[in-house]
Amino acid sequence: MTNVKVIIALGLVLAAVIIQTTVFQHIRPFGYAPALGMLTVIALARYLDPEQALFVAFTGGFLQDILGGAPLGLWASTFTVIAFITLKIREREIAGTPIVLLGVFGLTVIGQFTYAILGTLFGQGIINRPGFLGDLLVPALYNVILAYPIFWLVKVAVRPPERSWAT
Amino acid sequence: MFPSGRRLDRSTALFVTLLAVGFLIATFDVRSSGDSITTVFRGGAQTLVAPVQQGVDFVIRPVVGFVDGISNIAGLSDQNVRLEAEVQRLEQRLLETAALERRVAELEAINDFAPPEDLATVTARIYSAGASTFDQIRLIDRGSDHGIVVGQAVVDEDGLIGRVDLVTKSSARVRLITDPLVSVGVRLQDTNQTGVTTGRGDELLRLDMFNATEPVREGAVVLTDGSLFPPGIVVGFADETKSADVGFALRTTVDPAAAFSQLDFVKIVVGWSPLEADPQVRDPLVDAPASTEPGAGRE
Repeated sequence: MTNVKVIIALGLVLAAVIIQTTVFQHIRPFGYAPALGMLTVIALARYLDPEQALFVAFTGGFLQDILGGAPLGLWASTFTVIAFITLKIREREIAGTPIVLLGVFGLTVIGQFTYAILGTLFGQGIINRPGFLGDLLVPALYNVILAYPIFWLVKVAVRPPERSWAT
Repeated sequence: MFPSGRRLDRSTALFVTLLAVGFLIATFDVRSSGDSITTVFRGGAQTLVAPVQQGVDFVIRPVVGFVDGISNIAGLSDQNVRLEAEVQRLEQRLLETAALERRVAELEAINDFAPPEDLATVTARIYSAGASTFDQIRLIDRGSDHGIVVGQAVVDEDGLIGRVDLVTKSSARVRLITDPLVSVGVRLQDTNQTGVTTGRGDELLRLDMFNATEPVREGAVVLTDGSLFPPGIVVGFADETKSADVGFALRTTVDPAAAFSQLDFVKIVVGWSPLEADPQVRDPLVDAPASTEPGAGRE
């Protein structure tokens, strides 16, 4: 059952990355797209066991690396960091819609910033790009808009026994 | 993170391990080049995922087109007025262009530039973009089976799009000229001075000229100079009028001719190689021939 849950989770991340690279190639309000892969990882880290969440985040990030243009491992590391922070926040049992949405916004900004730092360290020159602030903030706002449907979908798909209908 | 008296918990240990693995993979990928294991792995994964991406793109494209059409109806009236004014302006410019074309033809003849229309091309469709906001790439549905190789120029009807940087049998990855990793050797059409454009990660390109004896005029046409891309392809238009700052060095911005947000079909220039065009310009990954005789190693 545990393995099935991990496979489903990986399928969700792969689907998110494929949607990101195809659908959001065309739909880009104000020139930006949501960070759908990252949002899915945040949602999965909220519902999966810690080790599963970290493994899925790393593998999902690696999938995004393969389909992207930057060196392999950068999104894998970034998603792992985001999953870890989400797990630490989850331990504090913070609840309530505004807090969750604020959390999604903050985590996405942290994720984008982490990737920008790693990308710059590995020669991608991201931080000094014009419009860098927009690259951090706008996808985070879009993620807030998409947070509830994605959280619902992830909850239904991986269905944690102890939290199935409570959260 | 590590409260006193508690050992490193399992999830923290796994987190640190995965982070280390991620850094190792990234370092290995950056340090290796050409046909490394990561390139082969990436190509293999791309081959597997490409049909799914093409399928999703095939399904979503008409839907997006329909939504775009609906949203555009409201703006059609205003657009008509703007287009009429645009037609008048373009007719005026057409008259000016005829004189300019004669001058360009003379310059091309002097510099032995081949017009880009003569080059063999392969038409491809873009089916996917980068996986994040930071990626300046596009994936196309033509690969090595269609004669595509790494390094070939990609253009559309407006101008230069980018360069092929990863190829599988049936797909290829194009790195856009807006990517900070892509530099293009260019010349200005009006003054014939040369420089280099580099992507900035946004809509504009940075133009560096190291021997600018004349100012760059706003709107000046920037063309490829034939060093790494076929000569005479429009790269963009100078964004502002600027003179050399220090000595003859000049830095300004260029507005790319291609509309990267609306790319659909592109052409890959398969009938041109920088090595054929100029023996002085060599692929840095190819070792120089042992012989130093003039013409040695040329095709």
